[in-house]
Amino acid sequence: MKIQAIAITALIACSTSLLAQWPKFREAGVPRDAAGQVQADARAPRTADGKPDLSGDWVRADRDPLPQELAGVVTARGQTTRSVAVEPPTTPFAPDATAPPLATFFDLGANISGGLPFTAWAADLKKSRMATNNKDNPDANCLPMGLTQFHMQPQPRKIVQTPTLIVILYEANYGLRYIYTDGRRLPPQGEPQPWWYGYSVGRWDGDTLVVETNNLRGAETGPFDGWLDVRGSPYSEQARFTERFRRPVFSKLEIDVTVDDAKSYTKPFTVRINQRFVADEEPIEFVCNENQQFRQRIKVD
Amino acid sequence: MITKTIALVAGFSLLMAAIPAVAHHSFAAEFDANKPVTVDGKVTKIEWANPHVWFYVDAKDEAGKVINWGVEMGSPNGLMRSGWTRNSMKLGDAVTIEGSRAKDGSNHVNARSVTLVSTGQKLFAASSQGQQ
Repeated sequence: MKIQAIAITALIACSTSLLAQWPKFREAGVPRDAAGQVQADARAPRTADGKPDLSGDWVRADRDPLPQELAGVVTARGQTTRSVAVEPPTTPFAPDATAPPLATFFDLGANISGGLPFTAWAADLKKSRMATNNKDNPDANCLPMGLTQFHMQPQPRKIVQTPTLIVILYEANYGLRYIYTDGRRLPPQGEPQPWWYGYSVGRWDGDTLVVETNNLRGAETGPFDGWLDVRGSPYSEQARFTERFRRPVFSKLEIDVTVDDAKSYTKPFTVRINQRFVADEEPIEFVCNENQQFRQRIKVD
Repeated sequence: MITKTIALVAGFSLLMAAIPAVAHHSFAAEFDANKPVTVDGKVTKIEWANPHVWFYVDAKDEAGKVINWGVEMGSPNGLMRSGWTRNSMKLGDAVTIEGSRAKDGSNHVNARSVTLVSTGQKLFAASSQGQQ
């Protein structure tokens, strides 16, 4: 009887806890095996007009090594532990020798031999950003964090694809990206005012979605603009991004990003960002500025 | 079914445990990874809000004086995916916090773990220090 009572109490406690979670749901249109597991290597879906369908919820797949500035050893109550590595909530894909170097959230050029090809202007700017512990990283300040930081941020994102418009909804800082696929051309550089997300136009090259973006707010605009990664590798107002999206199997999205920005880099470079499909999971409301006080705490505002 | 649900929650905990906090503030600007601190106290205030959950505890220092500490955790979404809810910790609960202290020596901690003294249950075992 007592055991039964304990079991019931535990059940109620568990139920209460579950009710307080984000509502669970089972996503339709996902290939699953008999046990309900997603068949990750199943064929990628296609839209009614025959294009690969990139729609769905995605998280970044690759793990970053623990950044040096966060490395530390904590000894408390006689127990010593190393700092916790930053792990995106997913598992990496097998290495692909044919792919461009993998980007990391902290350093876009971490796997590029010799690092990013900075110009003197960009190297100085990055150095000054790191000297203040990246306090002006737009992500840290609840602002749009740039295309590559958005791709790598560990919070999930949802892609919604229509024939003429692809939208990416980011949980991180409630980011929102429009990619026009209705045949329009990129506006001339400098014609519209620059935007945080720039102006993006997409076209299909076989099964690859090629997205070009220009008219971005660059690092000239202000301290929170033009950040490619957490360590502050910059981009300028001249920057032009080309992103190639491929969904080779159901659960994998490959994004190859080419940055062409002669003011910041001596030559264009390309990095790979992999994302993994997550079923029955979705971005949740994230109103970042609700209680953001870190700048007051570190006394910069 | 219950077993499956629990397994699912446990799975989410493992998968989503390391939700980054530094993503929303610069950890290195505010905290020192090499300045560990352990605080035993009672919860006086909880701010279940974005971008990071903060709670406050009263703890006695070595001289017996009561000090109020501010403790930072991950985002509400990240904690929820790790199995926390806004009701997991209540005002008055005795807790033990282990984490990294503020660089400026103020009474702020970035939590690595939060343990409920009454049950020994670890409410939060993932630092918000690593990127998430």
